[in-house]
Amino acid sequence: MAKPTKPLYSSLDEWVDVQPLEQYEKVNPLAPIFYTDEYKDATSYFRGIVKSGEMSPRVLDLTEHIIRLNPAHYTAWQYRYRTLMSIKAPLDVELKLMDELAVKYLKTYQVWHHRRLILTETRDPQRELAFVEESLREDTKNYHTWSHRQWVLSHFNDIDLWRGELDFLDTMFNQDIRNNSAWHHRFFVVFQSGVREGEEDRERVVRRELTFTKQNISFAPNNPSAWNYLRGVLEFNKLPFSTVTTFVFPYTQPTDPEAVDLVDLDNPPPSKQAELPCPAAIEFLADIYESEGGESLLKANQLWKSLADEHDTMRKRYWEYRIKESLQKGST
Amino acid sequence: MSMYRGVATPYVHDEIYMPPLACAAHASHSLRCITGLPDSLVDVDASRLALSFYCIGSLDILDVLNEKVNMITRNEWRKWFWEQQTSGPHGSGFKPSSFMTGQGPASEFVQSPEYSCPHVIMTYTALLSLAILRDNFAGLDRRGIVAFLRGCQREDGSFRTTPQGTESDLRTVYCAFAISSMLNDWSGVDVDRAKAFIASCRTYEGGYGQEPSCEAQGGTTYTAIASLYLAPRSEGEEPLTAAEREQTIRWLSSNQDESGGFRGRTGKAADACYCFWCGAALRILGRDDLVNGLALVKFLDRCQFKFGGISKAPDEHPDPYHTYLSLAAIAMYPPPLGESGSNTSWHLAPIDPLLNATQATARWIRDHVP
Ligand SMILES: [Zn+2]
Repeated sequence: MAKPTKPLYSSLDEWVDVQPLEQYEKVNPLAPIFYTDEYKDATSYFRGIVKSGEMSPRVLDLTEHIIRLNPAHYTAWQYRYRTLMSIKAPLDVELKLMDELAVKYLKTYQVWHHRRLILTETRDPQRELAFVEESLREDTKNYHTWSHRQWVLSHFNDIDLWRGELDFLDTMFNQDIRNNSAWHHRFFVVFQSGVREGEEDRERVVRRELTFTKQNISFAPNNPSAWNYLRGVLEFNKLPFSTVTTFVFPYTQPTDPEAVDLVDLDNPPPSKQAELPCPAAIEFLADIYESEGGESLLKANQLWKSLADEHDTMRKRYWEYRIKESLQKGST
Repeated sequence: MSMYRGVATPYVHDEIYMPPLACAAHASHSLRCITGLPDSLVDVDASRLALSFYCIGSLDILDVLNEKVNMITRNEWRKWFWEQQTSGPHGSGFKPSSFMTGQGPASEFVQSPEYSCPHVIMTYTALLSLAILRDNFAGLDRRGIVAFLRGCQREDGSFRTTPQGTESDLRTVYCAFAISSMLNDWSGVDVDRAKAFIASCRTYEGGYGQEPSCEAQGGTTYTAIASLYLAPRSEGEEPLTAAEREQTIRWLSSNQDESGGFRGRTGKAADACYCFWCGAALRILGRDDLVNGLALVKFLDRCQFKFGGISKAPDEHPDPYHTYLSLAAIAMYPPPLGESGSNTSWHLAPIDPLLNATQATARWIRDHVP
């Protein structure tokens, strides 16, 4: 059993004026928790406080205590927030505390939600992006952390906040080019959050994104996140996949030991160590052939068949489905 | 290692021998959790009703509820669920437990309507639990629930978890839709606004994020797809365009990785719960035939804990959530029986993928909600 972190409220003179309310359990409960005395005591005092409606500095101590024992206690969070507002507590102090709790309870929704509520009040997001970057160090794919960053950016929508996003992403990609959360964030920043100053020339932006993606594929071809991003960029900008056929083709071929290193920024070739052919490239090329229709359907079918039988047998059924669908479409 | 390239797995043929599914051990795990939880699980205090649903739901899928639990106990369970129904200025619904209910003098209880209010996710799981226990729903405050849902919907179409709360995302939209479908009453929901919210959560990958601008994720993609297919629609109206549907099918099936299990996001490791979330979404889209079912059950086989219960991945600790969702996934994708009938233990009660319950339970609630 966990060691108590504090003396029980029932033993403290400062709390003697509060009438604790024990938890009600009349009917045999389902999945009862064998609470520690510490939790039982703290939540009894909390129920008592909620009943009396008291909002005071000591309520902040009590709710912090409960949150540390159970960070998913949403009512403790809710009551804490209202108390903060009611007594006009200094919110920078609250944010400091949240810095600690966010890292401690990284996967608890409420920790991040509370942070949002506080920031909505302070309207001061200046240190927020650095904080997110710091806490991503603990878990580079944490869903709540990334959503928090996306919320900060879109809620405050401040050009100074947006400005550093691509550089921030570069550092994330340098650590792990397969981090899909970073790829998703890039799509959100570049395409799904409006057009900001300096990014008005959309053709240039699309060119930049295509170059970026191709380059990263050439370093690490078997990266589904990068291929999904490539699809996303083309689809979002209504460009046919065939725009990048020349780039994709070499990735569908076996590794060529004779290949010479050539510098082609538009179509960077796979590195010599690359594991080829790359299934994502084969799928991509098959999609290109399928959209061409006619004679090309046959080529698409061959590629899907090679995925089904050789390169991606786990998803054999999916590739066979693609073959069947295309034959049906082709015959109507 | 490449994400796509897997070890070649034997493809489904007639006679595949699987070691038996440890049904009795999983039932015991669920019963143990219903009896009591250690203090280390105190973080489920504010969602105990949902955890109870996973336990009872596992017994339902294993089809052992009546055999393992006598009628007196089942009636007590039903009473406990009904005790969580609460009404107030914001309508009626179910709260997670008595965690905010105080013991009054004598035997009555004390609670503030504002801080002991119904919760959308708990209301959804309570209705399903009561249906599993074959309740007649005579005590259901139908109008109160509709009013409660109405009070939870926000301007942007999403739903708060509680009427006074501020948390909201795609999961609560699903619960509101599932409740409306179970009550066969959609007057508590502005369906068009909710659909617009769902659409705003769609990402370039073809899945859905938890809220607008979030990364595609298996669980929230299930809630989006199930919501769209639960919602009433006019004749000929399709929940998704053909292109969206194909893109979602592609993304969902790309999440089955070389382990045979499904991952929740591109590039992450497989996790048992996503076998349900992705597998059920594919089934709703009418494309469950694309799942490599045998590889899937082989993955879940490895996630079984030796003393009962199923964990998110091999060699992890089990919990009711992953146990329930794994069993539901197995029920949807059982291995072939084979000529010797060796795999019968893997054939569980059929699942309704839209409500996330057994078909018999889903039918019960639709027939018995007054
Ligand atoms: Zn999981």
